[in-house]
Amino acid sequence: MLKNPYEILGVSKSASADDIRSAYRKLAKKLHPDLNPGDKKAEERFKEISVANDLLSDNEKRAKFDAGVIDAVGNEKPQQQRQYYRDYAGAGAGRGKANPNYESASAFSDLDGMDDIMAQIYAQQAHARRNAKGTDVRYHLNIPFLDAVTGATQRLNLPDGTTIDVKIPAGIETGRIIRLKGKGQPSQGAGGSGDALVEVTVLAHPHFTRVGDDLLLELSVSIKEAALGGPVKTPTAAGSVMLNIPAGSNAGTQLRLKGKGVAGRGDQLVKLRVVLPQRSDQQLNDFLKTWTPAFEDDLRKEFQP
Amino acid sequence: MILKRTEFMARTNIDEQTLETWLSEQWLVPVEEASDEAFTDADIARAQLIRELNHDLGVNQAGISVALHLLDQLHGLRRAVYELRQIKPRG
Repeated sequence: MLKNPYEILGVSKSASADDIRSAYRKLAKKLHPDLNPGDKKAEERFKEISVANDLLSDNEKRAKFDAGVIDAVGNEKPQQQRQYYRDYAGAGAGRGKANPNYESASAFSDLDGMDDIMAQIYAQQAHARRNAKGTDVRYHLNIPFLDAVTGATQRLNLPDGTTIDVKIPAGIETGRIIRLKGKGQPSQGAGGSGDALVEVTVLAHPHFTRVGDDLLLELSVSIKEAALGGPVKTPTAAGSVMLNIPAGSNAGTQLRLKGKGVAGRGDQLVKLRVVLPQRSDQQLNDFLKTWTPAFEDDLRKEFQP
Repeated sequence: MILKRTEFMARTNIDEQTLETWLSEQWLVPVEEASDEAFTDADIARAQLIRELNHDLGVNQAGISVALHLLDQLHGLRRAVYELRQIKPRG
């Protein structure tokens, strides 16, 4: 509900232009934001009386409002956020923003020791800055896939020619940041050095991929291995193991190596890919020509209409 | 932002004579820069305040001098209080 401009200024509907001006001035002197530097609400109320005054001090607008043609803010111009003088002075302003010719310390110059207090403040601030911790320094590190899975130590060459050994925790992922305490810039005083923040990118692996804490590997097996089963040498993040393929394993079969996932948490999933011999095998071809399958599966029955 | 005298008059919409009055009353005290006056955003906002005190609030010349003098002390005091609050007591 919009407030009525007459109510805002506290005048009657029949008030004269002079009544309105003096009512507005009386309120504005109390509410002007620059006369209330510490009162955030003053700005809001000042805007309100300004809008009311704009409306009622203009005979044409006032008549339209009285006739109900426009509402209480009907003709308010879109206003930009205004910067008042108080935004450039005193507590609200940085030192660079204010004009030093205006602000005056005479309001407290008679208070004994105030100068000493202010001097002490500045000295203390300078001391605090000097003794602040040194700044943190950011680095970037590419980590081989398997080092990220099992954990490792990697050497980082710093711009100043020195090196740091970065301990990479097992299971780290791209985007993580390793914080090396005290390896950043030194403090200018007694604040201690900042930290080195090392952002990690885990490089891709030609065979392994990572899904959560599980590792995925596609493993090629021969027709014979797939059909008859048997142990097959299989790489894992922690070296090769013998994986026992069950007889009759089809292409796409997924086998699970428990506990061989990331950082000992997940598993390694091995997906079988059955491949024909690289070179044509005459013996195999001769056998297949004479071979009649015992069970005639219709391999493409899902495509039947 | 640093403005020269003519740019400042255009931005604040005041004429030369008014500006001279305000300067002689020391309502505005631009920073000197290389033997030239330099007006800043703070001066623009202050000029707007002076104009409103005068035109909108009906404060006369003597009243503006008093108001600005008190305001400058108030802001000095507010800054001192603000800076005192920034200091953590020494432990």
